[in-house]
Order: sequence, then C-alpha cells, then structure tokens
Amino acid sequence: MKAPRRPGFPISADRMNQWIGDFAGYRINISEGRVERWLQGFRPRHRDIAARVLDAVEFVSHEQIAAAYRTALARLPGWHLDASRRAGKWRFVPFSVSAGESGDSMLHAFRLANRLNRRRYDPLFIGKRDLPGEQLTADDSVVFVDDFAGTGKQAVDAWNEALEELLPGQPSAYLVLVATSAQARKRISEETGLTVVPQHVLGDSDNIFHDRCTRFSPQDKETIREYCRRADQVNPAGYGQCGFVIVLSHNCPNNSIAILHAFNDRWEGLFRRHD
Amino acid sequence: MSTVQKEPLATHPVKPKLVATNRLEPNPYNPRRLFDREPLDVLRRSIKKVGVLVPLTVYWSSRKEKYVILDGQRHWMCAQALRLKQVPVNIIAEPSVVQNIVTMFQIHKLREDWELMPTALTLEILMHETKERSDTTLSEMTGLDVAVVTRCKKLLSYPKHYQELMLDPNPDKRVKADFFIELYAVRNDRTVNSMKWFSKNRFTRTMLDKYRERKSGLKAVTDFRLMKQYIGNARKAGKAALISARLKEYVESDSLTLEYLNIPSVNVSASARRISQAADKLHGSIAAINPEEYFGEEQMWKALDQLRKLIQRKLEEADRRIKG
Repeated sequence: MKAPRRPGFPISADRMNQWIGDFAGYRINISEGRVERWLQGFRPRHRDIAARVLDAVEFVSHEQIAAAYRTALARLPGWHLDASRRAGKWRFVPFSVSAGESGDSMLHAFRLANRLNRRRYDPLFIGKRDLPGEQLTADDSVVFVDDFAGTGKQAVDAWNEALEELLPGQPSAYLVLVATSAQARKRISEETGLTVVPQHVLGDSDNIFHDRCTRFSPQDKETIREYCRRADQVNPAGYGQCGFVIVLSHNCPNNSIAILHAFNDRWEGLFRRHD
Repeated sequence: MSTVQKEPLATHPVKPKLVATNRLEPNPYNPRRLFDREPLDVLRRSIKKVGVLVPLTVYWSSRKEKYVILDGQRHWMCAQALRLKQVPVNIIAEPSVVQNIVTMFQIHKLREDWELMPTALTLEILMHETKERSDTTLSEMTGLDVAVVTRCKKLLSYPKHYQELMLDPNPDKRVKADFFIELYAVRNDRTVNSMKWFSKNRFTRTMLDKYRERKSGLKAVTDFRLMKQYIGNARKAGKAALISARLKEYVESDSLTLEYLNIPSVNVSASARRISQAADKLHGSIAAINPEEYFGEEQMWKALDQLRKLIQRKLEEADRRIKG
C-alpha cells in the first residue's frame, strides 16, 4: 500500500493528473470524468478519505508485471533460456483457463516478458490437460503462471482436486505470481507441493482495515468500511476479507476492497473487473 | 492379467536396512486424508512397545536426496511421532511411469473426492503406454470400476479446450465432468450425427452456454438424458427429419425449452408413468415378503431373479450408474 497524502490535501488538478498517470493502462480507461464520478459516490465530507484511498492504491503496471515475471523465472533453479543449459525438462502452464482472464493471458505476458515468444519455445507452453502426457519426473520443472493469490484457497483446492494427480512423476512445481498475500503464500506452501514465487507479498499492513495498517485512522477505516458495505454487502473488504488496495493493470483482484471494483446498482467501482 | 502388474518393482535383491527417519518423505499419492486417528493410535502404541517390525518399502530419489515411501507411511508417521531416529526399510528401484500410475490408481480408488478429469488424463497415459483399450482390462489394471473407466474415456473424447474447462482452479468457472458425460450420449447419437446441420463442436459449445446461463430451461445435466430419449423415440417413430429440424431450432433459440423436442405422437411419458406405478406396486409386494415364509416358493424366487437381471440390464442399457 502506498502512502496517501495528508488528510485535507486538496483534490487539485495535479493530484487528479497523478492518479490518471498512475492508473494509465488499466483495462478500462481511467479518465478524469470516471474518477470524478467515483468520488461523487462519496458524501462531500468523505471525499477526502476517498481521495486518500486512491493515493494508497498500489497499481501494478504492465511493465511491472513483465518485470515481475522476468525476475521470477530468473530465480528458478535450473532454468536457462538455452535448452542445453537447463536442468531437466521445463513446462509452463496457465493456472486458470478462462479466456481473457488471469491464467492464459498471464501466461502470454509471462512468455513475452521472458523472450519466449519465438516458435521454437512453443513446446514449453502447454495446458494442464497435457501434463500427464509430458511424463515429467523429479528432474523436471513445471511452472504454473497466474497473477494474484489472495487467500490461497483456490490454489490449495486446485492442487488437491486435480494438479497433484496430474504430476505423478513429482517434478518441481512452481506457482509464479505477480503478487500474493503472505497468508496465501504460507497456506499454499504448507498445503500443496507448489513453491510460490511472487514478486509482491502483501502483509497485514496492506489490509486497510487491519490494526497494523497505520495509513488510515480508525475513524477513516470505519468510514471506508461503511462505503465498502454499500458496494458489496457480502465481501465489503474483498474476497477472503483481505482488505487490499492493489490493482493489476489487466484487472483488479476481487480481494481488493469493494469500493475499488464493485459494479452494481448501488455502486460504480473505479476499477471495474468485467466488461 | 496385464503386463504392468507382472513387472517387478525391484530390480535388485531386496535387503532391509536402517535409515534415519528424517531421510524419508511421503509419497504424494498416499491417501493421507483417509488416515483415521484411532487405528494410528493403536499402531503407535504397538510401535512404542516393540518398534517398527515390518520394513517400509521405499525408493531413493536422487533429485530430492530422500527416500520416498511407497508403502508403510502410517508406520513412518508413528515413528516420527515417537521420535524414533531410524526405521527399517526395503529399498527398491524407482518405479517406472506406468508402475507409478498403477500404484496411484490403486490408491486413488479410495479417493472419491478427486475430480474425474485428472483420472481420465492419467488413464490416457496408461492406455498410451500399454496400448490397452479394453474397459474391462483397464479396470483390472487400475482397480477403477469399469463404469469409471468408461466415463473417463468419454471425457477423453472431447477436444482439449473442453478438458481444460474441467481443470479450471476456479470452482465458479470449472465445468463438472458430469456435464460432458451426460452430453456425450446426445453428442455421439448416430441420428444426431447424421443431421446435416450438426457440428459436434458447435453443439457442445451451445449446450455449455445454455447450461451455464440456464437458458432454454436447461437446469440439470441429467436433462440430456431426456433429450436423448426424445431423439431416440422420434427416430423409432420414423420422425428423424422432424426431430432434426426441431433440434436445430432448439440449438439456435434460447427461448425454446427441452419440451419442444418431445414430439407428441411418440410421447412415451404416459407409458413411463404406468411402468412407474406398476413398479411402485411391485416394490410394495416384494418389500412385504418374509423370506422364511416363502422359503420354498422356487418359482417366485426364480421370477424375482429374472426380474432383477432384466432391471439391471435395462439400467445398464440406459447408462445409469448402478450403485452397489
């Protein structure tokens, strides 16, 4: 979470430009009009808090995602761009499969980021259904690519219900993520055979409602929570009650607070998740 | 019997030896969730008294630099709990892919909570490696029910992108294997396949969309049984052209419901109702039988046995799962 401006700092043209610049490249254009409309969703006396929430948003740009994927792959033991210098066989797999969302589009971003877009690298990229046929052994590595893990539940369930059985030869299995919560990383590491390789790890201080988050006063937090409830009664603090204010350039995780992304009759989030 | 089961796991003489408990690790295919605490407590008490008497079966993983337990994980867990420094092991050669798969299947049959698609994919490897195609033989090799093998093979008949949908980690987006298994009967129906407009891929995509979005009144995967029934009855009544036209319209329109495929002149629902009522009546009579009283009524028992066989055969023909 970034440090917001001090309370009462004017919502000036400069500040507006700063937001628009920071959020440039989001899947839906974040224009001045859109930010204005979002701010108007708050009562006038609460707009200062709303503006400070926007200051605090950790926006991860396309470039930062690419850099995260480059760093992640470079960290994996035994990987080398040159096949003759690689340890064992390597395969890269989208973690989720829905077109246009996370997994497969993230795998594409991962591929571009690591200069693996040439045709000769095609065999390295496969789907989950192809994993058993690859007959990977303990000398090999499989890298699942995704963007974000908030609670780790999905990864743990996926491992228990399918992935473990798809990897009978017990290759080294990695889950490369742009960002994750510390809780999700711990849970996935403890409950699956996946080694989590994230670039950003969000802790308690990144949960806007947590006591360890000192960026906002308790009163501010109560106000934010009230608006979050209006935006989403079921998961006001985001799925898993994570309370994050992180936005990835291709989508806002549903673990971020509801006022950022909820889109319904009661609320129009700035970072809409679906078209 | 398959060649797989005949292959020996060990390639050199087996000789028990003692190894440090912390140099062992569990095989990921052990059904850990099935360990119930009570028998483990009993085993722990026994090991506390006399130690681990039966050597564990392990193989050496050079990559992990650990011994991987193939058999005896419960003993190892108790040894850990009791802080035993060493346990006796029999070291065997690292199993081949096929051996690993077969071992996993033997364990997997206890794990009913696993999704079917991963099982199908592993079965595909086994079929590829052994060139075996018979459901019965594959069932013998793996310990899976023949019906499970059949269902797996149905899933494998779908294009890859549909198989991926069954593996989506997001449960909201994952499509259950049952959808594809139930759709299979219609998708592979010979009358449907002879329809000029029919394309398997387009039909599958459209049905998936209707099912997900609850369009055309499609509520349950079992609705495809009704669809298959309507098509089959129309064919038998010589109305293939009419059912083809109606099915095409049904595919193209989200406002038409499944009932549109039910051609009145071939309606069997009245007959189905009569059979259900008769079955209910017979069920009551049979339930009231006291076997001791009727012990010598040979003809009646013979008739009941024939009825049982007939019912079983009809259930199988209708692709119904027969639960033991």
